[in-house]
Amino acid sequence: MSSETPMSQPSTGTTARGATVTAQPANKIILDTRNMMKSFGGLRAVDDCSFTVARGSITGLIGPNGAGKSTAANMITGFIRADSGNIMFDGKDIARMPVHTIARRGLTRTFQITRELERMTVTENLMAAPHDQLGESFWLGLLDLPAVRRQEDEFLQRALQLLQDFDLYHLRDEYAGNLSGGQRRLLELARVVMTKPKLLLLDEPFAGINPVLASRLSDYIKVLCREKGITFLIIEHNLAMVERLCHTVIVMALGRTIAEGTMAELRQNPAVVDAYLGEG
Amino acid sequence: MPTIVFYLLTLAVFGAIYGTLAMGLNIQWGYTGILDFMYIAFVALGGYVTSLLMLPPSQPALGETYVLGLNWPFIPAIIVGGLAAALLALIVGLLALNRLRSDYFAIVTVAASLVLYTIAGNDTPLVNGWDGISGIPQPFQGAFNLDANGYGFFFFGLCLVILLIVYIFSERLYRSPFGRALRSVREDEMVAQGLGKNVFSLRLKAFVIGAFIAGIGGSLLVIYVDAFNPSAWTTGETFFLWAALLLGGSANNRGAMLGALIVPVLFAEITRFLPTFGSPQVVDAFRYIAIGVLLILTVRFRPQGIIAEKRFRVRKSKLQKLQPALAGASPGVHITDADLEDDAGILPARGTPAQDEEGRTL
Amino acid sequence: MTLLHNLLLYFGFGIITASILSIAAVGLSLQFGITNYINFAYGDLLTFGVYTAFVVNQKMGLNIWIGLVVAVILTAVLAWLINLFILRPFTDRGTSPIIMLVVTLGISLILQNVILAVFSEQFQNYTMNTGSPLSIGPFLFTPLQLGIIGLAVATMLAVHVLLRYTRLGKAMRAVSDSPELARVSGINTRLIVNAVWLMAGGLAGLSGVVLAFNVASFTPTVGFGFLFVIFAAVILGGIGSPYGAIAGALVVGVATEMSPAFISSEYKDAVAFAILIIALLIRPQGIFASRGRA
Repeated sequence: MSSETPMSQPSTGTTARGATVTAQPANKIILDTRNMMKSFGGLRAVDDCSFTVARGSITGLIGPNGAGKSTAANMITGFIRADSGNIMFDGKDIARMPVHTIARRGLTRTFQITRELERMTVTENLMAAPHDQLGESFWLGLLDLPAVRRQEDEFLQRALQLLQDFDLYHLRDEYAGNLSGGQRRLLELARVVMTKPKLLLLDEPFAGINPVLASRLSDYIKVLCREKGITFLIIEHNLAMVERLCHTVIVMALGRTIAEGTMAELRQNPAVVDAYLGEG
Repeated sequence: MPTIVFYLLTLAVFGAIYGTLAMGLNIQWGYTGILDFMYIAFVALGGYVTSLLMLPPSQPALGETYVLGLNWPFIPAIIVGGLAAALLALIVGLLALNRLRSDYFAIVTVAASLVLYTIAGNDTPLVNGWDGISGIPQPFQGAFNLDANGYGFFFFGLCLVILLIVYIFSERLYRSPFGRALRSVREDEMVAQGLGKNVFSLRLKAFVIGAFIAGIGGSLLVIYVDAFNPSAWTTGETFFLWAALLLGGSANNRGAMLGALIVPVLFAEITRFLPTFGSPQVVDAFRYIAIGVLLILTVRFRPQGIIAEKRFRVRKSKLQKLQPALAGASPGVHITDADLEDDAGILPARGTPAQDEEGRTL
Repeated sequence: MTLLHNLLLYFGFGIITASILSIAAVGLSLQFGITNYINFAYGDLLTFGVYTAFVVNQKMGLNIWIGLVVAVILTAVLAWLINLFILRPFTDRGTSPIIMLVVTLGISLILQNVILAVFSEQFQNYTMNTGSPLSIGPFLFTPLQLGIIGLAVATMLAVHVLLRYTRLGKAMRAVSDSPELARVSGINTRLIVNAVWLMAGGLAGLSGVVLAFNVASFTPTVGFGFLFVIFAAVILGGIGSPYGAIAGALVVGVATEMSPAFISSEYKDAVAFAILIIALLIRPQGIFASRGRA
């Protein structure tokens, strides 16, 4: 089952709601991790972890501290190399690929502590984002061909549009390093949206944000999912937001998946309740 | 010509050559954030190769041995000189750039530079060892029937032309998406990777391009000075250029040229007027002390240098062109300033305090 | 003289160099393990030690061993002052290791050239009695050289005792292994940083003086020239691991001193540089991997 399956159209509209995902045909699953393993020294951070993410869904990834969520996220996006296991993204095993190759295939992420290109402006941060820039080749960029200029205009337009949507337009010429915390979160989200991703992995996007902003952010994630067909995998501790936003939730503990399903189903699951020691 | 004119002309030539060299270093450090302490080795290699190509075959009987000696004309020689430096950078970069974080890479570059220095000095048949090479044919000599004075101005013109070409090239590179990708690598390597940039490939390219320019500038330098041996390219010289770039302004070419003017040229000349007590090496010592102090002060109080990197602003003309196409925000998604103000300060800003381009903390 | 005899002779020289090197390498390794940036000025701290002892010995006419003690103390103080007045303003703001390297580069330029300006570039030497060479088996050592080896061993033992059995030493190890955890556990990291600079400075001063013992005459660039040999030892042994630094010093010391048996002796230094480059490229975490930070 590891041969490459043809890429299918991203689904629009409704997404899969259900406890088990194993019965679905392959092209409805955009991410399929199988037996991921990672040890640091003697410690098994990720221990035979497997889960799937349905295409076009907003899927949550939760678990107590030390469950291995961050490690799993880093493995999926390529920042950490898996010791063993497969990570099937859109039908292709990305487990040993470098970060930039995975990103170019449509899997991008945000970071737990926001990272931006600090000494570049907000607009530049967005315009640096797209993968398919002709001008990033040394010769084409140097010669400033009309095709490059047209692409730059297109990127600028998209960037400015996104800035308007996020109400960061007035900050377009500001250095990213000067933005406040909340503004940086929005910038980071806008930046990854610029890459036209298929799957967006958000690493604790709601940490430390006031509830009003969190609610707006979650609305925007829903819109992006619905209108642009982006699949979301959200690592989060804020279970209220997870319940509100995610169709399906995966629970990790001690380095492996212990359950998958809707929040309602998970609340009934004794293993999940155990893992969270009553919290939830 | 009168000595004052000759003196100023010498300064001008060095200014132009160092300006070229500073811009090459800028592409590595200012654009891409590569700490390269072997830059002077690229300068030297380019200088050696160009000169060795232009020189007549060596005459060991007269006490000078070196390789090549092919009587080449100037233009192909200088291009090959640049390429030789670029090739060295390619080798070092392929071996070391991907594996090491920036400060360790810097150490490797110093070590590599020292190894080359030792080889060049000891392996005499290569480049005539510690005695070095001299008597290099001057470019286009005799082509325009110039006397010695006239030729001086001609050579300055030549350096100026090359400076201009390098300037235009570097500026174009900076403004291109390629340049923007380099800067993203400089700012945050993880973010750049996450945006699909091949960080290793970009770094390698910047390293090689910078080295090529070093080779070009080095060729001019060696030809002008006309006597070149390993003592001219110790690691101290890299630090000199480095301080020049840092002080003048990293990541922008005007700053690079300004720094190249202030530090090597002005510095060297100012200490000329200090009372000389002790040997030339002691006077040299004061220059280096000043460089050290300058480095620390610059990094502490004005890290962006005298001329700061220019901020990219979306031009009004561009906005007007695109404005009609920009729709309003999608309904139900509008996030207002009130939301953003509420959480100011909750999330800690990463790294050093934010500053605008004039260095004021915001 | 058979080849074997020569090799053993060189090996003996290698042990002496390794002794000198190990003192410096341990100091640098400790400092780097705790501050996490490369110190370009470390070699010049050695030079400072050399010339401090020189002043005591030649200008004040005292015994060189007094000079050695003074050198250790004063270099320790200097290192501590440098951290206090120059480095701390940067580290307090969370400056990146690259910029810190640039700052230490500036310090190196200043330190080295101040010494140059004061003492000139001429070769100097101490007034001391090295004693006549003794034949110990296949080796040839002067009593002084034996003294150097003994001093090195004593220093290593002292450092070992400090790190293993004292509170300060344990705290230093904690900060070196995991700075965030150490801070959270209530360890006063500022104090530890101060302590490590004193130690590194003292060790540098000591190493410089015994280096000067061994080379008979020196110039203000003696320390800086030795710096990359020290780097080679530290990186080979594993950054942040003082025990690794000792192992690295042994390898580098012996390798450089034995190389004249195979290649021209002018390339002795190049051997150290080559080891440095290869170590960084092949196994950046060193022989004893403590923290793979390269």
